Amino acid sequence: MNVIEINHLTKTYGKSRGITDISFNVEEGEIFGFIGPNGAGKSTTIRTLLSLIYPTSGNAKIFGKDCIEFAPDIKKEIGYLPSEVFYYDNMKVFDLLKYSASFYKKDCTKRIKELAEIMDLDLTKKIDDLSLGNKKKLGIVQGLLHEPKLIILDEPTSGLDPLMQQKFFELLETENQKGATVLFSSHILSEVQRLCNRVAIIKEGAIVTVEKISTLQENNYKKFKIHTKTALDKGYFDLPGVSQLEVKDHLVHFLFRGNLNGVLQKIAETDITNVWIEEPDLEEIFMHYYVKED
Amino acid sequence: MNIFWREMKSYRKSLIFWSIGVFLMVASGMGKYAGLSASGQSMGQMMADMPKSLQAILGIGNLDLNTASGYYGMLFVYLLLMATIHAAMLGANIISKEERDKTSEFLFVKPVSRHHIITSKLLAALVNIIIFNLVTLWASLLIVGKYSKGESVAGDITMTMLAMFILQLLFMSIGTATAAVQKKSKAAASLATGILLLTFVLSIAIDLNDRLASLKYITPFKYFEAKNVMYGGGLDVVFVLLSAALIVVLVAVTYVFFNKRDL
Repeated sequence: MNVIEINHLTKTYGKSRGITDISFNVEEGEIFGFIGPNGAGKSTTIRTLLSLIYPTSGNAKIFGKDCIEFAPDIKKEIGYLPSEVFYYDNMKVFDLLKYSASFYKKDCTKRIKELAEIMDLDLTKKIDDLSLGNKKKLGIVQGLLHEPKLIILDEPTSGLDPLMQQKFFELLETENQKGATVLFSSHILSEVQRLCNRVAIIKEGAIVTVEKISTLQENNYKKFKIHTKTALDKGYFDLPGVSQLEVKDHLVHFLFRGNLNGVLQKIAETDITNVWIEEPDLEEIFMHYYVKED
Repeated sequence: MNIFWREMKSYRKSLIFWSIGVFLMVASGMGKYAGLSASGQSMGQMMADMPKSLQAILGIGNLDLNTASGYYGMLFVYLLLMATIHAAMLGANIISKEERDKTSEFLFVKPVSRHHIITSKLLAALVNIIIFNLVTLWASLLIVGKYSKGESVAGDITMTMLAMFILQLLFMSIGTATAAVQKKSKAAASLATGILLLTFVLSIAIDLNDRLASLKYITPFKYFEAKNVMYGGGLDVVFVLLSAALIVVLVAVTYVFFNKRDL
């Protein structure tokens, strides 16, 4: 069953591009990644799903119901964490959480305490006095306190330290095992790779591809940067699977996809001073997608 | 009701300050009356000697400034200005602040409709302006009563406060409608108060120039003037109906436009 169905969703506003003809589905029980660079249209898509903004054309269904028409009904089961967290500054943390809970017709006090414990959130502080990271933690607790069936997260990890990120991911995985579906938007590929079953990649307002993480990993490109002692022959690293090869004096750059052993052997046979093997960043992945389309 | 109580709480401090302000306004205004009447001069005579334009700006008209109620009538225009500024800003802010403070991503993803949120907010604004009105009524009765020397003032004051309430409602709905229509949430309150000051200046211009008299329908400050409302004049039915129609239209605009709004 699809928890989210997005059909040809388009939103244009004023000068900014918005999103064009977006379609994808999120199945029940999966953790679905939604990745793209800043300004690609991730937030616009999410804000349309939440009926904060209205689509120019197309529609989206959540739990099988139109997300605009049945918005109040649908939102009972949605937990949302915005990318930038803003709350009523003069309220205390616990008061805000109680206020948030008052919208759902169940007692959430126990769950609030549990989540605050996990996320190490001080309930007695004033919101105004919270640091960015602590506000984010409050946002997480606020988004999860009513045990929603669909969790929508818009760049949730910004501002969290690695330890908290870890705890937060564990929390999400637990919720997911309990049956919650998660839509996870991010511009950081590695966290999406860690957590998600499938991803949609968005660029400049349009979906580039929807793929399983496992497929993406098969396509996994590595970025090589090698510093050698002696200048190399240009063709030395021109192996199958190598692209964007650049040789400049003692420095070699290239992207590689395929069996790593071959390349590593080649490296071992040369006299190197340093080597960097990195995950390519999103831009490079996108470049790969564009190259493929051409 | 949770949104209503949240709004009541968040406006509590501001309402207390406005109430103290309006109390001081009545107290200091009537204090001047006490000073002037004690000096033995006939204020009515003094004012009558002033140029007509100055009289118009002070909003005197045919008010008898020798009596406490007449002096209060002159003061009324400033109370009105204060009450309507409060109402317009409250109306504009209560609607636009979620967007302005970016808390809309909290409130508008809750399982309630936008209609429900607007209704709760309008209700909270309404209760706020009622409290403001009652505080002004109480302060006026208390302070004017002190200087009235047995003159019966309660009826006239209550009538002016009724007029003030209609204008408060009107400017509150101007505020909410502005906030719902205006694209930039930050500009809503200043736009609403801008409209208010413009209509206020227009009302003075009408006083100064008889040829503008037909414009009195477009400035609410000419709807219920103290000199007409007091001394048994009451509220002009035409303007009551006009105000009611405007309020209904503006509230409808608030709902319709806010419902379509991209937050």
